[in-house]
Amino acid sequence: MDVTKRKRELVEEFSPLMSKTTKTSKIWMIFLGIVILVGLYAFVLQFMKGHIVTGMRDNVVWGVYIINFIFFVCLSYSGAFIGGILHFFKTPWKNSVARIVEIITVLSLIIGPIFILLCIGRLDRLHYLFMYPRIQSPITWDIIAIMTDLIGCFIYLYLTFIPDFAILRDNSEKMPKWRQKTYKYLAIGYQDTTSQRERLHKITKTMSVMIIALAIIAYSVLAWIFSLTLQPGWNSSIFAPYFIIAGLYSGVAVIIISMYLIRKFYNLDHYIRKVHFIGAGVILLVMSLLYGYFTFSEYFARWFSHKTHDVNLLDTLFTRYFWEFIFANYIGILVPIVILFFKKFRTIKSITIAAIIAVLGLWLNRYLIVVPTLETPYLPIQDTREEFIHYSATWVEWSLSFAGVAAFILFFILIMKLVPIIPMSGIIDNERNGKNLKEKRTNNSN
Amino acid sequence: MKTYFTKFSIIAILIGLFVSTNSIAQNDEVKSYKFLYKFNTTKQEDNSRLLEVSFIAQHKKDRKNKVPVFEAEINFYNTTDEDDILLGTVKTDKDGFARLILPESQSYITDIDDYINIKAVFEKTEAIKSYKRSVAIKDIFFDLQLKEIDSVKTAIFKAFTLDSLKIQVPAPEMDVVFSVGGMISKMPIEEATVEDGEYEFEFPTDIRGDAKGNVDVFVFLEDHDDFGNVIHKKNINWGTSLKQNVISENTLWSEAAPLWMYIVLTILLLGVWANYIYSIIHLFKIKKEGKELELATEIEIENNQE
Repeated sequence: MDVTKRKRELVEEFSPLMSKTTKTSKIWMIFLGIVILVGLYAFVLQFMKGHIVTGMRDNVVWGVYIINFIFFVCLSYSGAFIGGILHFFKTPWKNSVARIVEIITVLSLIIGPIFILLCIGRLDRLHYLFMYPRIQSPITWDIIAIMTDLIGCFIYLYLTFIPDFAILRDNSEKMPKWRQKTYKYLAIGYQDTTSQRERLHKITKTMSVMIIALAIIAYSVLAWIFSLTLQPGWNSSIFAPYFIIAGLYSGVAVIIISMYLIRKFYNLDHYIRKVHFIGAGVILLVMSLLYGYFTFSEYFARWFSHKTHDVNLLDTLFTRYFWEFIFANYIGILVPIVILFFKKFRTIKSITIAAIIAVLGLWLNRYLIVVPTLETPYLPIQDTREEFIHYSATWVEWSLSFAGVAAFILFFILIMKLVPIIPMSGIIDNERNGKNLKEKRTNNSN
Repeated sequence: MKTYFTKFSIIAILIGLFVSTNSIAQNDEVKSYKFLYKFNTTKQEDNSRLLEVSFIAQHKKDRKNKVPVFEAEINFYNTTDEDDILLGTVKTDKDGFARLILPESQSYITDIDDYINIKAVFEKTEAIKSYKRSVAIKDIFFDLQLKEIDSVKTAIFKAFTLDSLKIQVPAPEMDVVFSVGGMISKMPIEEATVEDGEYEFEFPTDIRGDAKGNVDVFVFLEDHDDFGNVIHKKNINWGTSLKQNVISENTLWSEAAPLWMYIVLTILLLGVWANYIYSIIHLFKIKKEGKELELATEIEIENNQE
């Protein structure tokens, strides 16, 4: 196999995806830009007027921001976890999804923490967290975990990008100069020699293990922010594994949705095939079963213990939040299970629908973890206004939430403009390994 | 007939079961009680004087049956040859005690032998006859100096009376007890006979104090024929400090996190960052190798051109 020729072919194949922007793509980008601008306006408003423009008050001090934070951060951790597993175990079909997973990991880890900043009433005191950290506080652990994880994810993502940067550097004669310079700088002189390749594989493999361990630790720390308090609905010993499973559930679901959109809009049917969807669908099925089991255990223990505040919380969930509860914990779990369990339902579209239901259900589940608990405190605040007790998000919060999602999609598109969404080095490695295997088999048969 | 007998016998037995053999009518008439009326006085540590009457009714037959006389009005008088001067009136509390504290500035009229005569009187009521008790005491002053003499913690005690010209006169021989205050009771550290109004002893060095090492030192004179009860108190920082064994708990308000938390966090962070640094070092090695290759290629091209 002429590797140089094959690299050129691949660059020619993926170049249109990176350099050309279709009309639909442009419209999407403008739309996303507008959503982000509205979000920025909402942020300025919140910054100027304070939290009064949000639905957060004395009782419910956390709202959709923290839910988005948990959602994105969990997405990132699950991305890191899945990415690490794919790389470490050299999963056969990893090449088609690995980059999607890695981009999801880094982007969600950048966007997620922004939401926690929005929860802070006095942003001008943010630096106090670093100046006067309290090691015994789970919030401090979370800051350390997120920052360490973010750096680790960046390094890991960069390591996986280097071979492609090198391929693009060597075959970018027809590309603009700024691209050529960027690829040259980012490729750090990688020439795909045996020693360089081995060295890169070694550190990528080590980093993938580290990323898995970090994801588990960071997930647990995030769960402890809630479970180490005595609040009804939060104080639970299974919260850390529950968060890990829930995060993986949402992570796999978002990967499926991303795969579907990328496949559809970039015509990558021959790279992202039905087999990938079925594989991801089966993982989603396993995750949904585990997630359902944890959800049932969590609520069953609360119901059975019959503690006053837990009973009050369950009453709130079954009255005020009835439909949300049904969607999050029944439809959000059972429908994906039904779709994914039966072979004949496992089509690309139905798997994607199951993933969308799972993501929505999981977001609502997070909402039901945060808001109803804060609405049923141990010490009720007397003589307070009704709107101070019950939470409902304002347009400011919604627009900032949508701006977060829009930023996630927009950055995803922009990264896809920089590097191919299917790793070219991975394709070459697969072909090289396939050829070696073929040669081995021929030698053995002779 | 036999049936009737049986029936009535059973009823009689049943009724009999309800009759208690040891039950007697409650007899709480005042006549059944005798009254214990006691009066004493104590000169307290702040030089005030406590006049205390204990008024208890005790059953004549069942001596364990004691009932405090509640709300009995007690009049305290400073008696003189001519007249009784009322010092105050106090009612007994639920424990049967009537206490009157006279300040240091209180002036008393003494008799010819310098005795202060105080009388506690309960006036006769419809149920209880009158009671009266008197005490005659002389005023006495205690002075306790706690000093370190040649690095030895020393207690120097002086007891004196004042004559008509307010000149100190050493007190006669008397037995006193030195104690230190405790949580429940006072612990004696020295029992002494004071001669010529002075006594000196080495203060023990192993006395427990409070958290700061402060200790209360008391001098007691009890039931003295001339001076009655006298208490004197001094506070000094001579005790060994009683430090509380504070258990370090993991609380948001605790000053420092537990040691294990620092150790675990340090190990985790060092492990992770060591891996990052390891990866970055290898990236530099890749870069270095790339540069060398690039240089070699350039040289090769130049050579080929030549």
